Amino acid sequence: MREIEKVMYQEKPPAAADPDTLLFVEVDPEKCQGCGECDNHCPTGAVQARDATGIRHVVSPAACINCGQCLVNCPHGAVYETVSYVDEITARLKDPATVAVSMPAPAVRYALGECFGYPTGAYVGGKMHAALKQLGFRFVWDNEYAADVTIMEEGTELLQRISKPDRHKPLPQFTSCCPGWVKFVESYYPDLLPHLSTCKSPIGMLGALAKTYGAQETKTPRDKMYTVSIMPCIAKKFEGLRPEMAASGCRDIDATITTRELAFMIKQAGIDFKSLPDMAPDPILGMSTGAATIFATSGGVMEAALRLAYEVLSKQKLASPDIKVVRTHEGINTADIKVPRFGTVKVAVASGLANAAKLCDEVRGGKSPYHFIEIMTCPGGCVNGGGQPMDPRIRQASLFKRTMASVKKRYNMRTTG
Amino acid sequence: MQKTTVQMTRRAFIRAAGLAAGYALVGFHLTKDAFAAALDFAGLRQKAVYQADAEIYKSRKSQDNPMVKKLYDKNHGFLAKGPCGHISHELLHTHYQDRSAGVKALRSVGIKLKI
Repeated sequence: MREIEKVMYQEKPPAAADPDTLLFVEVDPEKCQGCGECDNHCPTGAVQARDATGIRHVVSPAACINCGQCLVNCPHGAVYETVSYVDEITARLKDPATVAVSMPAPAVRYALGECFGYPTGAYVGGKMHAALKQLGFRFVWDNEYAADVTIMEEGTELLQRISKPDRHKPLPQFTSCCPGWVKFVESYYPDLLPHLSTCKSPIGMLGALAKTYGAQETKTPRDKMYTVSIMPCIAKKFEGLRPEMAASGCRDIDATITTRELAFMIKQAGIDFKSLPDMAPDPILGMSTGAATIFATSGGVMEAALRLAYEVLSKQKLASPDIKVVRTHEGINTADIKVPRFGTVKVAVASGLANAAKLCDEVRGGKSPYHFIEIMTCPGGCVNGGGQPMDPRIRQASLFKRTMASVKKRYNMRTTG
Repeated sequence: MQKTTVQMTRRAFIRAAGLAAGYALVGFHLTKDAFAAALDFAGLRQKAVYQADAEIYKSRKSQDNPMVKKLYDKNHGFLAKGPCGHISHELLHTHYQDRSAGVKALRSVGIKLKI
């Protein structure tokens, strides 16, 4: 075990090829005080008391969707990550035969700075690209580019579902970029899978594009490429391991790390982050727009898709790209978007899976009035993901809770012998 | 039936009451602070995202990204057939798996889940 940005990690790549058999987070029974704060944040009920002592564990990989909200909200730092590619990536970056490709997600650049003393939310995109170059990535590609591609694919898919009703591709269409949400539907609402956009997530697309289009454009043999997905998210480690993510002819995504692990690697390499110049990513699979960066927040995918759908449906330019009604901090947000020459596009955005479940039940009951529904597992979206730097106040502010929990733990230990 | 009373001196009572009130007050404030902090922590990051969208990015619509236009270019683009074309379906789209059997197996041995 090793500590990375205040979170404990087992220092090993996944123990098996099939991600269904793996836990991506687990609870350290030595540190767990049985306070149950993880239960409050777990959307599926996968973290449970292992016995009468109240000490928690993750019951089964089948129940857990790997979002890591238990981890970032544990006041005792008792939840740890079980899969880490950090050492493997460090070795591959030193190997001259490897062409390493970086693929950072939108949300990473709004939190990475916090590990280097920047205020909460500070945008450090330029320095992030410079740091990736210094770490030794030959191509600094960016998942924001793929977010733009996702809008083209997912927006077009939505327009097709609207114009050609098909019982195999019904409305409403659900977004499919959040890996916690996708595993949630597959596990708890499998009957709704036809509603899920068939689009891969941006990282699923970028992995496949990197080793086909990117290999072709840069004249790089694809089997020399080593693609590293850098995410605000633990569930992306599961996604990267999905057997179907091999459209390029080899594994599309070779390794996945979180924002925390990237900060650790930058520090480990002795890079002075704050003094780095701002750098743009390599444009070919790196250039992006504001529509891509807002994927990092709840309501962002919806807003980005509407910026496209509006122009396609109305055949006119959208003068102001701000569609503020869909921006969501918590809960469920619904909106009627008036589009000239079309009518009304009805949309819903849910932040958190308890809210998503309500919308799922509506769809199941045939009562959902919407065309398009965006779901993000983490409250507020990816910026608040399970792979992001810890909110320092979660552990500081809980002195009282910690004291009470340890008293309770001692009591339980005594009563259960 | 024997009546039980708890004997307590005046001083001990004041001490106990004071401690209880103190703990309640401190606990209330700490949990309230923690709750508010967790909320605005994510909120600060969200605000930064919208600010970057409005101020840092030259273009704000995916369809205006020059590299996206190059990818879908009708003559020379890698995805010349446009979004949702044949190659798109091979590389960029996927299929899903019903994973509910694992959840059912857990329920059958009495494990309770939230959904």
